[in-house]
Amino acid sequence: MSRSGEEVWKNSTEKINSELFTLTYGSVVAQLCSDYNNNYNLVNKQLDSMGYNIGIRLIEEFLAKTGAARCHTMKETAEIILKVGFKMFLNITPQVDNWSLDNRQFSLILNENPLADFVELPSDAKDLWYSQILCGVLRGALHMVQLDVSVWFVKDVLKGDDITELKLKLNKILKDEVPAGED
Amino acid sequence: MSEEEIILPSIASGVKSLTVNDRPMHEFGYNPSLGPHSNEITESSLNILLNRKTISLTPTSTHSIYDRNILGTKKHELSISSLSFLFGEVVSWSHRSSKGIQDLENRLNGLGYKIGQRTLELVKLRERFKNTKREIRLVEMLQFIHSTLWKALFGESANELERSQDINNEYMITDNCPLMAKFINIPKDYGNLNCSALTAGIIEGALDSAGFYAHVSAHSVPTDYMPQRTVFLIKVEEEVLIREDLRGGPMN
Amino acid sequence: MASYYFTIIGTLDRPLYELEFASFKNPTAQGVPGKSQFSASVKEILPFIANSSLDVVEDAQWNSNQFHLGKIDAFFGLQVNGYITQGNIKFLLCYETPTNANLALHAKQDDTTLKQFFNEVNDLYVKCLLNPFYSVNDAITSPDFDLRVKLIVRKYL
Repeated sequence: MSRSGEEVWKNSTEKINSELFTLTYGSVVAQLCSDYNNNYNLVNKQLDSMGYNIGIRLIEEFLAKTGAARCHTMKETAEIILKVGFKMFLNITPQVDNWSLDNRQFSLILNENPLADFVELPSDAKDLWYSQILCGVLRGALHMVQLDVSVWFVKDVLKGDDITELKLKLNKILKDEVPAGED
Repeated sequence: MSEEEIILPSIASGVKSLTVNDRPMHEFGYNPSLGPHSNEITESSLNILLNRKTISLTPTSTHSIYDRNILGTKKHELSISSLSFLFGEVVSWSHRSSKGIQDLENRLNGLGYKIGQRTLELVKLRERFKNTKREIRLVEMLQFIHSTLWKALFGESANELERSQDINNEYMITDNCPLMAKFINIPKDYGNLNCSALTAGIIEGALDSAGFYAHVSAHSVPTDYMPQRTVFLIKVEEEVLIREDLRGGPMN
Repeated sequence: MASYYFTIIGTLDRPLYELEFASFKNPTAQGVPGKSQFSASVKEILPFIANSSLDVVEDAQWNSNQFHLGKIDAFFGLQVNGYITQGNIKFLLCYETPTNANLALHAKQDDTTLKQFFNEVNDLYVKCLLNPFYSVNDAITSPDFDLRVKLIVRKYL
Protein backbone atom coordinates (compact mmCIF):
# COMPACT_ATOMS: atom_id res chain seq x y z
CA MET A 1 0.00 0.00 0.00
CA SER A 2 1.59 3.27 -0.99
CA ARG A 3 1.80 6.23 1.36
CA SER A 4 -0.01 9.46 0.90
CA GLY A 5 1.80 12.68 0.15
CA GLU A 6 0.58 14.22 3.36
CA GLU A 7 1.91 11.34 5.37
CA VAL A 8 5.31 11.34 3.70
CA TRP A 9 5.52 15.11 4.12
CA LYS A 10 4.66 14.95 7.78
CA ASN A 11 6.74 12.00 8.86
CA SER A 12 9.58 11.30 6.47
CA THR A 13 10.65 14.68 5.25
CA GLU A 14 13.36 16.92 6.57
CA LYS A 15 11.92 20.38 6.05
CA ILE A 16 13.65 23.63 5.28
CA ASN A 17 12.57 27.21 4.72
CA SER A 18 11.66 27.65 1.06
CA GLU A 19 13.42 31.00 0.75
CA LEU A 20 16.89 29.58 0.24
CA PHE A 21 15.48 27.32 -2.47
CA THR A 22 13.67 30.22 -4.15
CA LEU A 23 16.72 32.47 -4.04
CA THR A 24 19.03 29.72 -5.35
CA TYR A 25 16.74 29.02 -8.29
CA GLY A 26 16.43 32.74 -8.98
CA SER A 27 20.18 33.12 -9.00
CA VAL A 28 20.46 30.23 -11.47
CA VAL A 29 17.87 31.62 -13.88
CA ALA A 30 19.45 35.07 -13.77
CA GLN A 31 22.86 33.53 -14.46
CA LEU A 32 21.50 31.52 -17.39
CA CYS A 33 19.92 34.63 -18.91
CA SER A 34 23.26 36.34 -18.63
CA ASP A 35 25.20 33.34 -20.05
CA TYR A 36 22.91 33.07 -23.05
CA ASN A 37 22.63 36.83 -23.56
CA ASN A 38 18.90 36.87 -22.93
CA ASN A 39 18.16 34.30 -25.60
CA TYR A 40 15.20 33.02 -23.66
CA ASN A 41 14.55 30.05 -25.90
CA LEU A 42 17.97 28.70 -25.04
CA VAL A 43 17.39 29.41 -21.37
CA ASN A 44 14.14 27.44 -21.49
CA LYS A 45 15.93 24.51 -23.11
CA GLN A 46 18.71 24.56 -20.55
CA LEU A 47 16.27 24.71 -17.64
CA ASP A 48 14.37 21.79 -19.13
CA SER A 49 17.54 19.79 -19.53
CA MET A 50 18.63 20.51 -15.96
CA GLY A 51 15.19 19.48 -14.80
CA TYR A 52 15.47 16.22 -16.70
CA ASN A 53 18.74 15.40 -14.92
CA ILE A 54 17.06 16.08 -11.60
CA GLY A 55 13.99 14.05 -12.53
CA ILE A 56 15.88 10.85 -13.27
CA ARG A 57 17.38 10.92 -9.78
CA LEU A 58 14.38 12.27 -7.95
CA ILE A 59 12.21 9.32 -9.01
CA GLU A 60 14.31 6.94 -6.91
CA GLU A 61 13.70 8.88 -3.75
CA PHE A 62 10.05 9.14 -4.69
CA LEU A 63 9.64 5.39 -5.15
CA ALA A 64 11.67 4.60 -2.07
CA LYS A 65 9.74 6.88 0.23
CA THR A 66 6.27 6.20 -1.02
CA GLY A 67 6.40 2.57 -2.04
CA ALA A 68 4.18 3.54 -4.92
CA ALA A 69 3.08 0.77 -7.25
CA ARG A 70 3.24 0.89 -11.03
CA CYS A 71 0.45 3.04 -12.43
CA HIS A 72 -1.77 1.48 -15.05
CA THR A 73 -3.46 4.54 -16.37
CA MET A 74 -2.57 8.15 -16.91
CA LYS A 75 -5.23 9.06 -14.44
CA GLU A 76 -3.45 7.12 -11.75
CA THR A 77 -0.16 8.68 -12.81
CA ALA A 78 -1.66 12.13 -12.56
CA GLU A 79 -3.03 11.42 -9.10
CA ILE A 80 0.29 10.16 -7.84
CA ILE A 81 2.25 13.07 -9.30
CA LEU A 82 -0.04 15.60 -7.75
CA LYS A 83 -1.07 14.25 -4.46
CA VAL A 84 2.19 12.62 -3.54
CA GLY A 85 5.02 13.98 -5.63
CA PHE A 86 4.40 17.71 -5.48
CA LYS A 87 3.38 17.46 -1.85
CA MET A 88 6.42 15.63 -0.62
CA PHE A 89 8.97 17.71 -2.48
CA LEU A 90 7.51 21.17 -2.77
CA ASN A 91 4.71 21.03 -0.23
CA ILE A 92 2.15 22.23 -2.75
CA THR A 93 -0.98 20.61 -4.11
CA PRO A 94 -1.68 21.44 -7.74
CA GLN A 95 -4.92 20.52 -9.46
CA VAL A 96 -5.62 18.44 -12.50
CA ASP A 97 -7.92 19.56 -15.25
CA ASN A 98 -8.60 19.52 -18.97
CA TRP A 99 -8.35 15.84 -19.62
CA SER A 100 -8.17 15.06 -23.31
CA LEU A 101 -10.74 12.68 -24.77
CA ASP A 102 -8.26 9.84 -25.04
CA ASN A 103 -7.14 10.40 -21.45
CA ARG A 104 -3.52 10.73 -22.49
CA GLN A 105 -3.18 14.43 -21.79
CA PHE A 106 -4.07 16.68 -18.89
CA SER A 107 -3.29 20.05 -17.39
CA LEU A 108 -1.63 20.71 -14.08
CA ILE A 109 -2.67 23.93 -12.43
CA LEU A 110 -0.28 25.37 -9.87
CA ASN A 111 -1.98 27.59 -7.35
CA GLU A 112 1.32 28.37 -5.71
CA ASN A 113 4.84 28.10 -7.02
CA PRO A 114 7.79 28.37 -4.62
CA LEU A 115 10.19 28.66 -7.56
CA ALA A 116 8.72 31.97 -8.63
CA ASP A 117 8.19 33.92 -5.43
CA PHE A 118 9.16 37.57 -5.79
CA VAL A 119 9.87 37.31 -9.49
CA GLU A 120 8.98 40.13 -11.84
CA LEU A 121 9.90 39.27 -15.42
CA PRO A 122 11.69 41.93 -17.47
CA SER A 123 9.48 43.45 -20.15
CA ASP A 124 11.40 41.75 -22.97
CA ALA A 125 11.21 38.27 -21.45
CA LYS A 126 8.01 37.22 -23.17
CA ASP A 127 9.56 33.96 -24.33
CA LEU A 128 10.86 32.87 -20.95
CA TRP A 129 9.05 30.16 -19.04
CA TYR A 130 10.58 30.88 -15.65
CA SER A 131 9.69 27.54 -14.06
CA GLN A 132 10.59 25.42 -17.08
CA ILE A 133 12.74 23.23 -14.83
CA LEU A 134 9.54 21.59 -13.55
CA CYS A 135 8.75 20.30 -17.04
CA GLY A 136 12.14 18.66 -17.22
CA VAL A 137 11.77 17.09 -13.78
CA LEU A 138 8.43 15.54 -14.68
CA ARG A 139 9.74 14.35 -18.02
CA GLY A 140 12.84 12.78 -16.47
CA ALA A 141 11.04 11.13 -13.58
CA LEU A 142 8.35 9.62 -15.78
CA HIS A 143 10.93 8.45 -18.30
CA MET A 144 12.45 6.30 -15.58
CA VAL A 145 9.13 4.53 -15.13
CA GLN A 146 8.85 3.84 -18.84
CA LEU A 147 6.59 6.70 -19.76
CA ASP A 148 7.63 8.95 -22.62
CA VAL A 149 5.86 12.23 -21.99
CA SER A 150 5.95 15.77 -23.23
CA VAL A 151 5.50 18.51 -20.66
CA TRP A 152 5.14 22.17 -21.43
CA PHE A 153 3.86 25.40 -19.93
CA VAL A 154 0.84 27.11 -21.40
CA LYS A 155 0.16 29.84 -18.87
CA ASP A 156 2.17 31.58 -16.18
CA VAL A 157 1.08 34.18 -13.66
CA LEU A 158 4.48 35.81 -14.12
CA LYS A 159 3.40 36.70 -17.61
CA GLY A 160 0.13 38.16 -16.42
CA ASP A 161 -2.04 35.08 -16.94
CA ASP A 162 -4.58 34.34 -14.29
CA ILE A 163 -3.13 30.90 -13.47
CA THR A 164 0.03 28.89 -13.95
CA GLU A 165 -0.74 25.86 -16.10
CA LEU A 166 1.37 23.01 -17.46
CA LYS A 167 0.25 20.38 -19.95
CA LEU A 168 1.44 16.81 -19.71
CA LYS A 169 0.92 14.38 -22.58
CA LEU A 170 1.74 10.72 -22.84
CA ASN A 171 3.55 9.99 -26.11
CA LYS A 172 4.15 6.29 -25.66
CA ILE A 173 4.88 3.62 -23.14
CA LEU A 174 8.46 2.46 -23.44
CA LYS A 175 9.44 -1.16 -23.77
CA ASP A 176 9.50 -2.71 -20.38
CA GLU A 177 13.17 -2.97 -19.44
CA VAL A 178 12.67 -3.20 -15.75
CA PRO A 179 13.18 -6.67 -14.29
CA ALA A 180 10.13 -8.42 -12.90
CA GLY A 181 9.45 -7.91 -9.25
CA GLU A 182 8.89 -4.20 -9.55
CA ASP A 183 5.16 -4.35 -8.85
CA MET B 1 20.90 74.50 -18.90
CA SER B 2 20.02 74.55 -22.58
CA GLU B 3 16.99 72.68 -23.70
CA GLU B 4 18.75 70.64 -26.35
CA GLU B 5 21.61 69.22 -24.38
CA ILE B 6 20.60 66.71 -21.84
CA ILE B 7 23.46 65.42 -19.77
CA LEU B 8 22.73 61.79 -19.19
CA PRO B 9 23.56 60.37 -15.79
CA SER B 10 25.68 57.26 -15.93
CA ILE B 11 23.22 54.44 -16.07
CA ALA B 12 23.78 51.29 -14.11
CA SER B 13 23.55 48.22 -16.24
CA GLY B 14 20.07 46.80 -16.43
CA VAL B 15 18.35 44.29 -18.60
CA LYS B 16 17.24 47.01 -20.91
CA SER B 17 18.28 50.61 -20.63
CA LEU B 18 15.64 53.29 -21.00
CA THR B 19 16.41 56.12 -23.34
CA VAL B 20 15.27 59.72 -23.41
CA ASN B 21 12.63 58.74 -25.91
CA ASP B 22 10.86 56.24 -23.70
CA ARG B 23 7.67 57.50 -22.17
CA PRO B 24 6.28 55.71 -19.18
CA MET B 25 2.95 53.98 -19.45
CA HIS B 26 0.25 55.79 -17.52
CA GLU B 27 2.96 58.11 -16.29
CA PHE B 28 4.42 55.79 -13.71
CA GLY B 29 7.95 54.50 -13.78
CA TYR B 30 11.23 56.26 -13.21
CA ASN B 31 13.42 56.68 -16.27
CA PRO B 32 17.05 57.30 -15.31
CA SER B 33 17.75 58.93 -18.65
CA LEU B 34 15.23 61.65 -17.96
CA GLY B 35 15.49 62.02 -14.23
CA PRO B 36 12.70 63.28 -12.01
CA HIS B 37 10.85 64.71 -14.98
CA SER B 38 9.97 61.18 -16.07
CA ASN B 39 7.84 60.27 -13.10
CA GLU B 40 6.54 63.57 -11.79
CA ILE B 41 2.99 63.67 -10.61
CA THR B 42 0.50 64.96 -13.13
CA GLU B 43 -3.25 65.41 -13.19
CA SER B 44 -3.93 62.01 -14.63
CA SER B 45 -1.53 60.10 -12.44
CA LEU B 46 -2.84 62.04 -9.47
CA ASN B 47 -6.30 60.77 -10.25
CA ILE B 48 -5.06 57.22 -10.05
CA LEU B 49 -3.30 57.88 -6.76
CA LEU B 50 -6.19 59.55 -5.03
CA ASN B 51 -8.81 57.08 -6.12
CA ARG B 52 -6.57 54.07 -5.83
CA LYS B 53 -7.87 52.76 -9.09
CA THR B 54 -6.56 49.40 -10.06
CA ILE B 55 -4.88 49.82 -13.35
CA SER B 56 -2.51 47.51 -15.08
CA LEU B 57 0.82 49.17 -15.30
CA THR B 58 2.55 45.88 -16.04
CA PRO B 59 1.19 42.43 -16.87
CA THR B 60 1.50 41.49 -13.24
CA SER B 61 0.22 44.68 -11.59
CA THR B 62 -2.81 42.98 -10.12
CA HIS B 63 -0.71 40.51 -8.16
CA SER B 64 2.43 42.52 -7.96
CA ILE B 65 5.47 41.42 -5.98
CA TYR B 66 5.21 44.73 -4.16
CA ASP B 67 1.95 43.71 -2.59
CA ARG B 68 3.30 40.56 -1.05
CA ASN B 69 3.99 40.49 2.62
CA ILE B 70 7.62 39.66 3.30
CA LEU B 71 7.50 40.45 6.98
CA GLY B 72 5.00 37.78 7.92
CA THR B 73 6.09 35.04 10.24
CA LYS B 74 4.32 32.26 8.42
CA LYS B 75 6.96 30.63 6.27
CA HIS B 76 6.53 28.18 3.46
CA GLU B 77 8.51 24.99 3.96
CA LEU B 78 9.60 22.37 1.51
CA SER B 79 11.67 19.23 1.47
CA ILE B 80 15.43 19.46 1.87
CA SER B 81 15.60 16.98 -1.02
CA SER B 82 14.34 19.60 -3.41
CA LEU B 83 17.16 21.92 -2.46
CA SER B 84 19.69 19.08 -2.62
CA PHE B 85 18.57 17.96 -6.06
CA LEU B 86 18.60 21.53 -7.33
CA PHE B 87 21.99 22.21 -5.82
CA GLY B 88 23.43 18.96 -7.18
CA GLU B 89 22.35 19.86 -10.68
CA VAL B 90 23.66 23.42 -10.22
CA VAL B 91 27.07 21.98 -9.37
CA SER B 92 26.97 19.67 -12.42
CA TRP B 93 25.87 22.47 -14.70
CA SER B 94 28.54 24.79 -13.35
CA HIS B 95 31.10 22.05 -13.86
CA ARG B 96 30.02 21.67 -17.48
CA SER B 97 30.32 25.40 -18.07
CA SER B 98 33.65 25.86 -16.31
CA LYS B 99 37.22 25.52 -17.37
CA GLY B 100 38.66 24.13 -14.18
CA ILE B 101 38.22 23.83 -10.45
CA GLN B 102 38.97 27.45 -9.68
CA ASP B 103 36.58 28.66 -12.37
CA LEU B 104 33.91 26.33 -11.03
CA GLU B 105 34.34 27.58 -7.50
CA ASN B 106 34.13 31.14 -8.79
CA ARG B 107 30.90 30.37 -10.56
CA LEU B 108 29.38 28.85 -7.45
CA ASN B 109 30.65 31.77 -5.42
CA GLY B 110 28.97 34.15 -7.88
CA LEU B 111 25.63 32.38 -7.53
CA GLY B 112 25.89 32.53 -3.76
CA TYR B 113 26.94 36.17 -3.86
CA LYS B 114 23.57 37.27 -5.23
CA ILE B 115 21.81 35.21 -2.59
CA GLY B 116 23.90 36.82 0.16
CA GLN B 117 23.09 40.37 -0.98
CA ARG B 118 19.38 39.66 -0.86
CA THR B 119 19.30 37.67 2.32
CA LEU B 120 21.20 40.35 4.21
CA GLU B 121 18.69 43.08 3.43
CA LEU B 122 15.72 40.80 3.96
CA VAL B 123 16.84 39.53 7.35
CA LYS B 124 17.70 43.01 8.57
CA LEU B 125 14.35 44.35 7.41
CA ARG B 126 12.50 41.68 9.33
CA GLU B 127 14.62 42.26 12.38
CA ARG B 128 13.97 45.94 12.45
CA PHE B 129 10.75 45.44 14.31
CA LYS B 130 12.71 44.11 17.22
CA ASN B 131 14.55 47.39 17.29
CA THR B 132 17.85 46.00 16.17
CA LYS B 133 20.56 48.13 14.76
CA ARG B 134 22.74 48.18 11.69
CA GLU B 135 26.02 46.39 12.05
CA ILE B 136 28.86 48.84 11.67
CA ARG B 137 31.76 46.97 13.20
CA LEU B 138 33.43 43.96 11.65
CA VAL B 139 33.19 41.61 14.60
CA GLU B 140 29.50 42.34 15.16
CA MET B 141 28.82 41.84 11.47
CA LEU B 142 30.57 38.48 11.56
CA GLN B 143 28.59 37.51 14.63
CA PHE B 144 25.41 38.51 12.83
CA ILE B 145 26.31 36.29 9.90
CA HIS B 146 27.38 33.43 12.12
CA SER B 147 24.14 33.39 14.10
CA THR B 148 21.17 35.33 12.68
CA LEU B 149 21.89 35.00 8.99
CA TRP B 150 22.90 31.36 9.24
CA LYS B 151 19.76 30.60 11.21
CA ALA B 152 17.53 32.36 8.68
CA LEU B 153 19.03 30.42 5.79
CA PHE B 154 19.92 27.06 7.25
CA GLY B 155 17.78 26.68 10.34
CA GLU B 156 20.44 27.05 13.00
CA SER B 157 23.57 29.02 13.82
CA ALA B 158 26.96 28.02 12.51
CA ASN B 159 29.23 26.32 14.94
CA GLU B 160 32.29 28.43 15.50
CA LEU B 161 33.53 31.92 14.77
CA GLU B 162 37.21 32.50 15.26
CA ARG B 163 39.90 34.93 14.34
CA SER B 164 43.16 33.69 12.97
CA GLN B 165 45.97 33.82 15.52
CA ASP B 166 48.71 35.04 13.23
CA ILE B 167 46.97 36.95 10.48
CA ASN B 168 44.86 39.87 11.62
CA ASN B 169 42.58 40.05 8.60
CA GLU B 170 41.47 36.42 8.62
CA TYR B 171 38.40 35.05 10.33
CA MET B 172 36.87 31.59 10.22
CA ILE B 173 33.27 30.42 10.46
CA THR B 174 32.91 26.69 10.94
CA ASP B 175 29.88 24.63 10.09
CA ASN B 176 29.94 21.00 11.13
CA CYS B 177 27.31 19.94 8.65
CA PRO B 178 26.58 22.52 5.98
CA LEU B 179 23.00 22.23 4.82
CA MET B 180 23.70 22.80 1.15
CA ALA B 181 26.26 20.06 0.87
CA LYS B 182 24.49 17.54 3.07
CA PHE B 183 23.45 15.11 0.38
CA ILE B 184 25.96 15.87 -2.31
CA ASN B 185 28.48 13.27 -3.32
CA ILE B 186 31.38 14.63 -5.28
CA PRO B 187 32.58 12.24 -7.94
CA LYS B 188 36.30 11.61 -8.03
CA ASP B 189 36.88 13.47 -11.27
CA TYR B 190 35.82 16.75 -9.69
CA GLY B 191 39.07 16.75 -7.75
CA ASN B 192 39.34 19.08 -4.83
CA LEU B 193 36.06 20.82 -5.41
CA ASN B 194 34.31 22.16 -2.41
CA CYS B 195 30.74 22.86 -3.35
CA SER B 196 30.32 24.91 -0.22
CA ALA B 197 31.83 27.54 -2.48
CA LEU B 198 28.22 28.62 -2.98
CA THR B 199 27.75 29.20 0.74
CA ALA B 200 31.08 31.03 0.78
CA GLY B 201 29.60 33.26 -1.90
CA ILE B 202 26.59 33.95 0.31
CA ILE B 203 28.88 35.16 3.09
CA GLU B 204 30.92 37.23 0.66
CA GLY B 205 27.82 38.85 -0.85
CA ALA B 206 26.50 39.77 2.58
CA LEU B 207 29.83 41.20 3.76
CA ASP B 208 30.48 43.20 0.60
CA SER B 209 26.97 44.68 0.66
CA ALA B 210 27.46 45.91 4.18
CA GLY B 211 30.76 47.52 3.34
CA PHE B 212 33.05 44.87 4.84
CA TYR B 213 34.79 43.88 1.65
CA ALA B 214 36.23 40.40 1.90
CA HIS B 215 37.06 37.29 0.00
CA VAL B 216 35.57 34.07 1.31
CA SER B 217 36.52 30.50 0.49
CA ALA B 218 35.36 27.13 1.77
CA HIS B 219 37.64 24.39 3.03
CA SER B 220 36.86 20.86 4.11
CA VAL B 221 38.19 19.87 7.50
CA PRO B 222 36.59 16.51 8.10
CA THR B 223 36.85 14.73 11.39
CA ASP B 224 35.84 11.20 12.32
CA TYR B 225 32.47 12.23 13.62
CA MET B 226 31.84 15.10 11.25
CA PRO B 227 32.93 14.13 7.76
CA GLN B 228 31.40 17.24 6.19
CA ARG B 229 32.83 19.80 8.57
CA THR B 230 33.67 22.91 6.61
CA VAL B 231 35.58 26.03 7.49
CA PHE B 232 34.75 29.28 5.70
CA LEU B 233 37.87 31.38 5.54
CA ILE B 234 37.11 35.10 5.46
CA LYS B 235 39.89 37.38 4.32
CA VAL B 236 38.93 40.95 5.00
CA GLU B 237 40.33 43.70 2.83
CA GLU B 238 42.92 46.04 4.26
CA GLU B 239 40.75 49.14 3.82
CA VAL B 240 38.15 47.69 6.18
CA LEU B 241 40.71 47.23 8.92
CA ILE B 242 41.99 50.76 8.42
CA ARG B 243 38.46 52.09 8.72
CA GLU B 244 37.83 50.03 11.84
CA ASP B 245 40.96 51.53 13.38
CA LEU B 246 40.09 55.08 12.45
CA ARG B 247 36.52 54.87 13.62
CA GLY B 248 37.05 52.45 16.43
CA GLY B 249 35.94 54.92 19.03
CA PRO B 250 32.87 54.50 21.23
CA MET B 251 29.57 54.33 19.36
CA ASN B 252 26.75 56.85 19.86
CA MET C 1 4.02 74.84 -0.74
CA ALA C 2 6.14 72.15 0.83
CA SER C 3 7.96 70.41 -1.96
CA TYR C 4 10.20 67.39 -1.60
CA TYR C 5 12.88 65.64 -3.53
CA PHE C 6 13.32 61.96 -2.71
CA THR C 7 16.12 59.83 -4.08
CA ILE C 8 17.50 56.34 -3.63
CA ILE C 9 21.26 56.25 -4.05
CA GLY C 10 23.20 53.05 -4.56
CA THR C 11 26.55 51.91 -3.28
CA LEU C 12 28.36 53.52 -6.19
CA ASP C 13 26.83 56.94 -5.41
CA ARG C 14 24.49 56.84 -8.41
CA PRO C 15 20.81 57.65 -8.10
CA LEU C 16 18.69 54.55 -8.62
CA TYR C 17 15.41 56.34 -8.26
CA GLU C 18 14.22 59.94 -7.95
CA LEU C 19 10.91 61.55 -7.20
CA GLU C 20 9.89 65.17 -6.87
CA PHE C 21 6.60 65.86 -5.19
CA ALA C 22 4.69 68.29 -3.04
CA SER C 23 3.13 67.61 0.27
CA PHE C 24 -0.25 65.90 0.09
CA LYS C 25 -1.00 66.83 3.66
CA ASN C 26 -0.66 70.51 2.93
CA PRO C 27 -1.72 70.98 -0.65
CA THR C 28 -1.30 74.26 -2.44
CA ALA C 29 -4.26 76.27 -3.50
CA GLN C 30 -3.39 76.13 -7.16
CA GLY C 31 -1.73 73.71 -9.46
CA VAL C 32 -1.80 69.94 -9.35
CA PRO C 33 -1.75 68.68 -5.78
CA GLY C 34 1.31 66.54 -5.33
CA LYS C 35 3.28 68.09 -8.12
CA SER C 36 6.45 69.65 -6.83
CA GLN C 37 6.60 73.39 -6.71
CA PHE C 38 10.32 73.81 -6.64
CA SER C 39 11.50 76.77 -8.65
CA ALA C 40 13.63 76.03 -11.70
CA SER C 41 16.81 77.14 -10.00
CA VAL C 42 16.20 74.84 -7.09
CA LYS C 43 15.24 71.96 -9.35
CA GLU C 44 18.59 72.16 -11.05
CA ILE C 45 20.63 71.82 -7.93
CA LEU C 46 18.61 69.16 -6.14
CA PRO C 47 20.66 66.23 -7.43
CA PHE C 48 23.83 68.07 -6.49
CA ILE C 49 22.62 68.74 -2.99
CA ALA C 50 21.75 65.07 -2.59
CA ASN C 51 25.09 64.06 -3.96
CA SER C 52 27.12 66.38 -1.81
CA SER C 53 25.36 65.19 1.30
CA LEU C 54 26.69 61.72 0.58
CA ASP C 55 29.97 62.67 2.22
CA VAL C 56 28.11 63.51 5.37
CA VAL C 57 26.20 60.26 5.10
CA GLU C 58 29.41 58.33 4.89
CA ASP C 59 30.62 59.94 8.05
CA ALA C 60 27.36 59.39 9.83
CA GLN C 61 26.90 55.81 8.79
CA TRP C 62 30.00 54.53 10.53
CA ASN C 63 29.33 56.52 13.68
CA SER C 64 25.72 55.57 14.19
CA ASN C 65 24.21 52.13 14.19
CA GLN C 66 20.75 53.45 13.41
CA PHE C 67 18.97 53.05 10.11
CA HIS C 68 17.51 56.53 10.42
CA LEU C 69 20.27 59.11 10.17
CA GLY C 70 18.01 62.08 10.76
CA LYS C 71 18.79 65.52 9.45
CA ILE C 72 22.25 65.21 7.99
CA ASP C 73 22.82 68.34 5.93
CA ALA C 74 21.42 71.70 4.98
CA PHE C 75 22.11 73.91 2.01
CA PHE C 76 20.49 76.84 0.28
CA GLY C 77 17.41 76.72 2.42
CA LEU C 78 16.93 73.02 1.91
CA GLN C 79 17.54 70.32 4.42
CA VAL C 80 18.41 66.71 3.81
CA ASN C 81 17.11 63.81 5.86
CA GLY C 82 18.73 60.43 5.45
CA TYR C 83 18.20 56.70 5.97
CA ILE C 84 20.57 53.87 5.15
CA THR C 85 20.01 50.15 4.82
CA GLN C 86 22.37 47.41 5.98
CA GLY C 87 23.35 46.94 2.36
CA ASN C 88 24.47 50.59 2.14
CA ILE C 89 21.62 51.83 0.01
CA LYS C 90 20.77 55.42 0.93
CA PHE C 91 17.39 57.07 0.93
CA LEU C 92 17.57 60.86 0.96
CA LEU C 93 14.75 63.34 1.32
CA CYS C 94 15.38 67.02 0.58
CA TYR C 95 12.89 69.70 1.50
CA GLU C 96 12.75 73.35 2.35
CA THR C 97 13.84 74.20 5.84
CA PRO C 98 10.83 75.29 7.80
CA THR C 99 11.04 79.00 8.44
CA ASN C 100 8.70 81.08 10.53
CA ALA C 101 6.68 81.74 7.43
CA ASN C 102 6.02 78.16 6.48
CA LEU C 103 6.26 76.60 9.93
CA ALA C 104 2.55 76.03 9.88
CA LEU C 105 2.93 73.97 6.76
CA HIS C 106 5.42 71.69 8.41
CA ALA C 107 3.54 71.46 11.66
CA LYS C 108 1.83 68.27 10.68
CA GLN C 109 4.97 66.55 9.71
CA ASP C 110 7.38 65.38 12.34
CA ASP C 111 10.05 62.81 12.90
CA THR C 112 7.63 59.94 13.23
CA THR C 113 6.03 60.35 9.85
CA LEU C 114 9.41 60.69 8.20
CA LYS C 115 10.56 57.49 9.88
CA GLN C 116 7.44 55.63 8.85
CA PHE C 117 7.94 56.88 5.31
CA PHE C 118 11.51 55.59 5.19
CA ASN C 119 10.54 52.27 6.77
CA GLU C 120 7.91 51.63 4.15
CA VAL C 121 10.22 52.57 1.31
CA ASN C 122 12.81 50.18 2.73
CA ASP C 123 10.19 47.45 2.59
CA LEU C 124 9.51 48.28 -1.07
CA TYR C 125 13.20 48.32 -1.88
CA VAL C 126 13.78 44.85 -0.41
CA LYS C 127 10.89 43.50 -2.47
CA CYS C 128 12.49 45.00 -5.55
CA LEU C 129 15.84 43.46 -4.61
CA LEU C 130 14.41 39.98 -4.12
CA ASN C 131 13.56 39.87 -7.82
CA PRO C 132 16.32 37.77 -9.44
CA PHE C 133 16.20 39.98 -12.51
CA TYR C 134 17.13 43.05 -10.50
CA SER C 135 20.78 43.55 -9.56
CA VAL C 136 22.09 45.78 -6.79
CA ASN C 137 22.72 49.29 -8.18
CA ASP C 138 20.35 48.88 -11.12
CA ALA C 139 18.01 51.82 -11.67
CA ILE C 140 14.52 51.09 -10.40
CA THR C 141 12.29 51.62 -13.38
CA SER C 142 9.34 49.45 -12.44
CA PRO C 143 6.06 51.36 -12.76
CA ASP C 144 4.61 49.30 -9.92
CA PHE C 145 7.40 50.46 -7.66
CA ASP C 146 6.87 54.06 -8.68
CA LEU C 147 3.16 53.84 -8.03
CA ARG C 148 3.65 52.43 -4.58
CA VAL C 149 6.26 55.01 -3.59
CA LYS C 150 3.78 57.70 -4.57
CA LEU C 151 1.10 56.02 -2.50
CA ILE C 152 3.43 55.99 0.50
CA VAL C 153 4.20 59.64 -0.11
CA ARG C 154 0.54 60.41 -0.12
CA LYS C 155 0.03 58.47 3.07
CA TYR C 156 2.71 60.15 5.15
CA LEU C 157 3.70 63.38 3.59
